[in-house]
Amino acid sequence: MNNSDPATLIKFEKVSKRYRNFQALREVSFEVKEGEIVGFLGPNGAGKTTAMRILAGFFPPTSGRVFVGDVDMSKHPHQAKQVIGYLPETVSLYPDMRAIEYLRFVAKLKGVPAHELKGHVRGKMSFCGLIEVGHCLIGRLSKGYRQRVGLAQALIGDPSVLVLDEPTTGLDPTQIKEIRDLVRALGQNRAVILSTHILPEASMLCNRVMMIHQGEILASGTVDELAACLKNREAIHVTIKDRKDKDLALRLLKSIPGVEDLKAAEDVKGETFLSFETSGAARAEDLRPRIAKLFVEHGISIMEVQKLNRTLEDIFLTLLKEGKLGRRSS
Amino acid sequence: MRKILAIARKEFSGCFHSWLGVLVAVLFFLISGIFFVILVLSYAKISMNPQQYGLSNFSGINQTQFIFGSFFTNLSILLLFLVPILTMRSFAEERRQETLELLFTYPLSDFEIVAGKQLGILGFFGALLLPLSGYLGVFGWLGGEFDWGPVLLGFLGFGFLGAAYLAAGVFISSLTKNPILSALGAFSILLVFWIFDWVKDIASGLWARVFSELSPLAHYRNFTLGILDVQDLVYFGFFFFYFLSLTLRSIETRNWKN
Repeated sequence: MNNSDPATLIKFEKVSKRYRNFQALREVSFEVKEGEIVGFLGPNGAGKTTAMRILAGFFPPTSGRVFVGDVDMSKHPHQAKQVIGYLPETVSLYPDMRAIEYLRFVAKLKGVPAHELKGHVRGKMSFCGLIEVGHCLIGRLSKGYRQRVGLAQALIGDPSVLVLDEPTTGLDPTQIKEIRDLVRALGQNRAVILSTHILPEASMLCNRVMMIHQGEILASGTVDELAACLKNREAIHVTIKDRKDKDLALRLLKSIPGVEDLKAAEDVKGETFLSFETSGAARAEDLRPRIAKLFVEHGISIMEVQKLNRTLEDIFLTLLKEGKLGRRSS
Repeated sequence: MRKILAIARKEFSGCFHSWLGVLVAVLFFLISGIFFVILVLSYAKISMNPQQYGLSNFSGINQTQFIFGSFFTNLSILLLFLVPILTMRSFAEERRQETLELLFTYPLSDFEIVAGKQLGILGFFGALLLPLSGYLGVFGWLGGEFDWGPVLLGFLGFGFLGAAYLAAGVFISSLTKNPILSALGAFSILLVFWIFDWVKDIASGLWARVFSELSPLAHYRNFTLGILDVQDLVYFGFFFFYFLSLTLRSIETRNWKN
């Protein structure tokens, strides 16, 4: 838009949503600027879809305010919806309409001027690779093509804010890649929010991720930032052969400073898994040789000692365990 | 307005996209045609020998009244079945297919959605009515005579009755996500209105008056008799817009349901 700071396009202010007896969102606040692709991450039922539906204007929040650009969603829903393109989780389109017919219908509803309508729709169709299936009934299209019709539908009217609820679910790998490329291209000059429960997707696609759990934002930041706040932690898995050594092994591990969150589990054959996390001083050295030596000295037979690398997945799970990690915004 | 028309057009052509819409149209013509032919034939039979049917002479029966009056009454019964089928898809189907979610996220007011849907379905109903005028043509061509006034008013009344019923049907459809349930509900509510017409005959005094004012058929009957009364117009207008506003209300409540 201009060379100064990119404009804030989406702003949630302490947004809560309550269904009959279920609190779906608790005082969620965040901002998204132009040119950002933000990923909502979270398990099913975390509140991702609720947040997106509120943003898309499907229903209002129970409390709190949503701004799209400078427009207050609750005061001028019409204006706000004008600049939002929304792709719902289940792309439900009219099965007995032709793709082109449907997109023209949407263009009319979004107020695309009559003289631009045909060209506009055609442009979106070619962007999403729909030209050759334009005259097929939507109900006969494959899931991947339907998803693209859904995306084209969201793009009609050139919205500056795109809300994509799990845009890649149910697609095959090629299609997933295509959709991701489309989203990346779209993110250049828009604000894009997408939700996903595929963590690698978020780290690939998004400038910033927000982890949502039980209606709250656990953490927000770039993938690197989030990883950084866990830098001084790592997980080690140890497998020992004999179950009767378990207590001894646990005692030994506890004696090492910096070992936290110790857990043990047995399998049928008697092999025992011990897992723990390290932090602080223990992080400075690699604990594996020390553990191996310690165990051997005490006559415990070790099957395996493994250090696990942190992925977004681990970050997320750790965050879930620890609760809030303090918000970070970029 | 352009948005209302876009929705109406989609709704209207949607009726033709499905086999159901076509089937309904065909059945409607078939059954109303059979009604009409039977009425014409029975009129022909009676007019040959009025005494046998307890009529003192031929001039005692009115051709327009006999044929078209009964025809419109029969059509109103057909409406009990036609309306639930026409309206069952309007909102219930969209809820079932979850297409309503997207519609709500477009820059549209709830009124535009409801008005568009109502208009589309009225359009389809209007399209069903048009060919009925063909009966008049055939009738005139065969040498039948009728008074234009009552016949045109009858059509007008039938249009109003249909519009009112459709508004009620669309409202029922907005309450559920199951089209079958919607059809059953609409049929039941229309049946209740139909029964009002009987109750008014059984009841006496104030109740008779109340039920005859409430009964859509009583108001419709005036049209078929060739009487244009402001009261009837007001009644159908109120009926239509009342259910339209109920539909709007039911669409708005999505905010705290779900």
